[in-house]
Amino acid sequence: MKPVIDPKFCKACNICVYICPKKCYSKGSGIGETGYFTAVVSAAEKCYNHNREGKLLCELCILSCPDQAISWHEETEEEKKK
Amino acid sequence: MEIFDFYRKDRWPHVFCPGCGNGAVMNCFYRAFNELGLELDKTAFVGGIGCSSRIPLYINSDALHTTHGRAIAFATGLKLAKPELKVVVFTGDGDLGAIGGNHFINGCRRNVDMTVICINNNIYGMTGGQASITTPHEFLSTTTPRGNKEYPFDLAEIAVAAGANYVARWTTRHVHELTKSIKAALQKKGFTFVEVVAQCPTNFGRRNRMADPTQMLEWMRESSIRRDKAKANAVDHVDLNLEGKITVGEFVDRNRECYEELIGVSKHG
Repeated sequence: MKPVIDPKFCKACNICVYICPKKCYSKGSGIGETGYFTAVVSAAEKCYNHNREGKLLCELCILSCPDQAISWHEETEEEKKK
Repeated sequence: MEIFDFYRKDRWPHVFCPGCGNGAVMNCFYRAFNELGLELDKTAFVGGIGCSSRIPLYINSDALHTTHGRAIAFATGLKLAKPELKVVVFTGDGDLGAIGGNHFINGCRRNVDMTVICINNNIYGMTGGQASITTPHEFLSTTTPRGNKEYPFDLAEIAVAAGANYVARWTTRHVHELTKSIKAALQKKGFTFVEVVAQCPTNFGRRNRMADPTQMLEWMRESSIRRDKAKANAVDHVDLNLEGKITVGEFVDRNRECYEELIGVSKHG
């Protein structure tokens, strides 16, 4: 599974950038559609849950995101090989 | 249950400031509620006045938005009239401890069956950053520009002394522990109280050199200490001030008889 940030909900508090132990996230550089510099998932392959099925580990970013912007999505075949 | 079956997606994105701790508490509550498999139709949410008391309005269930400080009084009436409902109160430190302090103490004393989640952001955030009863010693706010000379209330210790069945305190930096505590509180009968020290970067952090929410989370991580460790070091009272620490952990877990059993409401409810 990979984390995906919904740019409609993200308010650019960058808590995910601070809290991720594997440094999967980075600060955004461009203005999103809501006017915030929304954070981006820069290294989803470093995540503990990369290629993991069943019970997920860590989940600090999902629980700490104040705007419910992060969710788990299935990876594509190309991303699974990384 | 998907996250937006639990929340009202038509109200999203919510009104809280960027980096506000209320959202993290909402996540932890949703996770605990979902893992326990409780039903939204059999749960009622009660809130008073304040930022954190707006949380019931975002949940896809029946909510009672009450007068300032009286959330526990309304929740007591709701529970006695409808004993089959599970009652959850979301409240803030100003609502619960300052305006409704007496309702809180007497709710604990009666031990009414409800879960109270108090989001303590150390300040009156919604009205512009005035010092509240939980503003730590020597911290700045709009009404204390030279530092707060008073010492803060310890809401969790008050709940223990007043007789609540389950009391825990965590910060928004301890999300997994907080989820576990909310789960334990929802399962337990009687007055269960979870205090969450949350960040308010807009009104508390900005005046105390922590304008970034991540700086506030780092402050919480550095200054929190487990209650069992604090006891081992023979610290009988731990202040929430600049040099002091935030005691986190489970404070009490006991099975006192609750109010409905004592007056026999559940028999004919």
